Amino acid sequence: MKRLLAVALVLVLVFSAVLTAHAESVQDALEKAAKMTNEELYAKAKEEFAAGAQLNFYSTTSFAEKAAANFMKAYPDLDGKVIYAEIDDGETYTKLTNQIGSGVKDSPDMALVQNGPDLKVNLLEDELSYNYFPEALKDVVPEAYQEPTVVTFINSLMIYNNKEGSVGVNNVWQLVEEDWKGRVFFKDPTNETVNLNFLIMLTSPEWTEKMEKAYEARYGKAWASDEFESASYEWIDGFLKNVNYTFTSASKIATGIASGAAGNMGIFVFSKLRKVAEEDRANLTVLQFENDVDCFSGFMYNVYATVCSDTDCPYACALFINWLLSEEGFAGEKSWNSSQGYYSPNTTIGKPEGLEDQAYVYWDGKLVFEDLEYIDGLGAAYTDVYRFINVRVSK
Amino acid sequence: MKAIQPDLRREPMRYRLRAFFAKPANLILLLFIAVLAVLSLAPMVTMLTNMFKVHAGTEKKMLRLKAGSFTLNHFEMLFKDREWGKANFWTPLLNSLIVACGSGLLGILIGGTVAWFVTRSDLKCKKFISAVFVFPYMMPAWTLALFWTNMFQNSKVGGGVVGMVESLLGVCMPQWFVYGLFPMIVVIGLHYSPFAYLLIGGILKNMDATLEESATILKASRFTIIRRVTVPIIMPAVLSTFLLIFSSGFASYTVPVFLGSATRTFTLSTKMRALIQAGYEGQGYIIAFISILLGTLILGVNQYFTGKRKSFTTVTGKSGQVSLVKLKGANWPVSALLIVLTLFFAIMPLISFALESVIRQPGNYSPSNMTLTFWIGTEASAFETGMPNGILMNGTMWSGLARQVGLALAVALVVGTCGMLIGYACVRRRGSFLSKAVENLAFFPYLMPAMAFGTIYLAVATSASFKWMYGSFFLLGLVAAVKFLPFASRSGVNSMMQISPEIEEAATIFGVGWVTRMARILFPIQKSAIISGYLLPVINVMREVALFTLLVPYPRYLLTTMLFSFNETGYAQYGSAVTLLIIVIIIAINSLVNKLTGASFDKGIGG
Repeated sequence: MKRLLAVALVLVLVFSAVLTAHAESVQDALEKAAKMTNEELYAKAKEEFAAGAQLNFYSTTSFAEKAAANFMKAYPDLDGKVIYAEIDDGETYTKLTNQIGSGVKDSPDMALVQNGPDLKVNLLEDELSYNYFPEALKDVVPEAYQEPTVVTFINSLMIYNNKEGSVGVNNVWQLVEEDWKGRVFFKDPTNETVNLNFLIMLTSPEWTEKMEKAYEARYGKAWASDEFESASYEWIDGFLKNVNYTFTSASKIATGIASGAAGNMGIFVFSKLRKVAEEDRANLTVLQFENDVDCFSGFMYNVYATVCSDTDCPYACALFINWLLSEEGFAGEKSWNSSQGYYSPNTTIGKPEGLEDQAYVYWDGKLVFEDLEYIDGLGAAYTDVYRFINVRVSK
Repeated sequence: MKAIQPDLRREPMRYRLRAFFAKPANLILLLFIAVLAVLSLAPMVTMLTNMFKVHAGTEKKMLRLKAGSFTLNHFEMLFKDREWGKANFWTPLLNSLIVACGSGLLGILIGGTVAWFVTRSDLKCKKFISAVFVFPYMMPAWTLALFWTNMFQNSKVGGGVVGMVESLLGVCMPQWFVYGLFPMIVVIGLHYSPFAYLLIGGILKNMDATLEESATILKASRFTIIRRVTVPIIMPAVLSTFLLIFSSGFASYTVPVFLGSATRTFTLSTKMRALIQAGYEGQGYIIAFISILLGTLILGVNQYFTGKRKSFTTVTGKSGQVSLVKLKGANWPVSALLIVLTLFFAIMPLISFALESVIRQPGNYSPSNMTLTFWIGTEASAFETGMPNGILMNGTMWSGLARQVGLALAVALVVGTCGMLIGYACVRRRGSFLSKAVENLAFFPYLMPAMAFGTIYLAVATSASFKWMYGSFFLLGLVAAVKFLPFASRSGVNSMMQISPEIEEAATIFGVGWVTRMARILFPIQKSAIISGYLLPVINVMREVALFTLLVPYPRYLLTTMLFSFNETGYAQYGSAVTLLIIVIIIAINSLVNKLTGASFDKGIGG
């Protein structure tokens, strides 16, 4: 019996040692990878793939599929081994927290995810995934976007159907007024965390102050209320009352507004304009390109890359992240930069000529930028904001 | 050497055990008791514990507690916080009940009326109407929901996108007609009306006509006969049908998603998924548990009514020749109306999906706006629409289809075999405790709404010991096999009941082994029923969404979840193309079943 127990104990120890060693080795590999050149990484990735690995990655942005295709063209020995799967924003972390470490065949090796606060709490803090950022790019990507690594910024803008001319919106408080009821389209924030984060960001002191100023500019008096905690809460309440949820995705909002009734407006992902049929494109106007809006004309959020702690191809993941951050990866044929609404954190990559868009810096101050630290620092207060939004969406 | 003294008191037990285990039926029953207890009851326990646990994600972030810690927060939020509870539980519950009641009544009204016309009147074109009327039951319910929006969306409601009715006839229906509870009731009611037609039609067809004839001789009016004779006789069947449609309507997930999202009309099923998706798993599990309780209650009431019906039909005695009501001048108008309506809901969806899959600009049905890009587009032409290729040229679609077909075949193999074995064992040991236990355990998953059942297995697969299952093909196969076992086991019991045990006993006397008896005697006799038992799960798996949606590793893993994702994320044309593909596959499988077994849905009723 004693002998049996001893054997069992040894087995458990060996097993946990193997597991720990495996976890350490991914982290170590990523640390080493950060100092390597792309050629060195390519050689390592080839070794990993020769040993039977393949790079399965999840992404909330469909453009990543094209980026992967371009990546495999650039590194032909990896062809057919970089497998993309689109994942819904809402269930990203349920899927990832359960699949990482499960040992299930084809579970993800890395992921491109949105909603930084959840990435931090659910994956990085629990060491289910690791951050990777290449040292070679430290000078061209601002420090704030290196940990967690941002691979692209995406903006959602106020865009309207112009068939009967301008809607004349120059202040966000107009959108909570009666005549906008049912005419403003927005994806359910309880289903799309970046939309939720946008509303949560509005409750920050910085944006509350801006909202109060905009209120005063619109109504000629200082904001005051017994009902709401702040001007931002009142705006969220009025806005969600006016929102029309007919379209359940950004693509549907884009095509729906373009082919739908005149004067309808949506706050949706700018890049989705590519989904609109050519005949309908002229029906859409980006409000910010018509006039400035007091105090914002949309919001900007980040897409992060993260490497799963159980990957068997950390070097291939590192090489792919390098690719996404590079000019050829980000601005290659039909990849992110060829569309409106995607911006690289790599400051050497600007938007190409001929696109109806502006560089990332243009949007600073015009859009509500997602702030990982602010949302993460809300703690228990997060529940109050979420509850406030949820009960208004579900009504 | 000391002689071994046999313990005489133990001998009878030993012999009894030997005799017990000598019968294959007993071994089968014991095996299934163990397997089914593990597969249907144990997951319930996991789900119950998950109602009190902090999950990774939103709950962990919100409560600032370690994942896995004990909490009562999920109950407090759902039942103590009035505003939250109303939005996330009470209103969805009320909506579910309205949809369930409404669709039950509508299903019976439509199905019952058509059943009466086909079985009790001299209606024209009965065969055609009967065959086409059951068509919507074969199609997945969500295809009708999509068809409804394709038809009736218009410039005055929602986002103002023009649908087929407005485009062709210039008519705009109001919002309540296009989105919300009303279309949910109509779509679910229409989907299940063939079900009512089959059940009520069966009773009407076999009803003893002498009762009505006696009433006629006693000079009762036609209305009085219907009210005092016909209706009471079919009432237990009507109530039973109502409860079955009610329970299906209550559990429906896909229809409320497609028709309720625009107006924020949540039902318990859609709320369950929305909460789980937003990271409130604990509350999702509580709702799943309540849905299961309600499902059990409804089916319990149904069992009660079904029991009553049995005793009712024995009163009727010998059946006579049914005298058909002459519709006279109303015959052609009624026949024409039924033909038009049945064709509209059977054929129009196919035309609608075909059209929606080839138009570029929504609402524009002119030939110049049509393209095959969404079907056969290559990289150059199709990429702008968000997919690298048209669906027939797309590897992801073919992988999804291959997985779905593989899953359907694997599940059919397991379910068909288990159903037949359960049928054999239960019938051979009829009346014993083991037999009753296995029959009930095998039927248990039927009580659970598909979404709730998927949720239970999500709870299992996300627990530390079973993480290896999460997102695997095996898990999908397992959950589908358990969920679709009730039909197969019932059909197995029914088919085996028809075989007299003497046939098998005769073979046993000649020393024929069990396997040979099964393969050479029992299978050939009940060939068609057994083939149905294998092929029906194929159809179930091919159209299932709710059961798999929480369990697939990513949305495009299976063809049906891919379609669901297409529709949710705005790839409308791809969604329509895949829908059409699924319907065609299901119809093909169904025709195959008919050809192999000689059975069809409307057999025995249609004219």
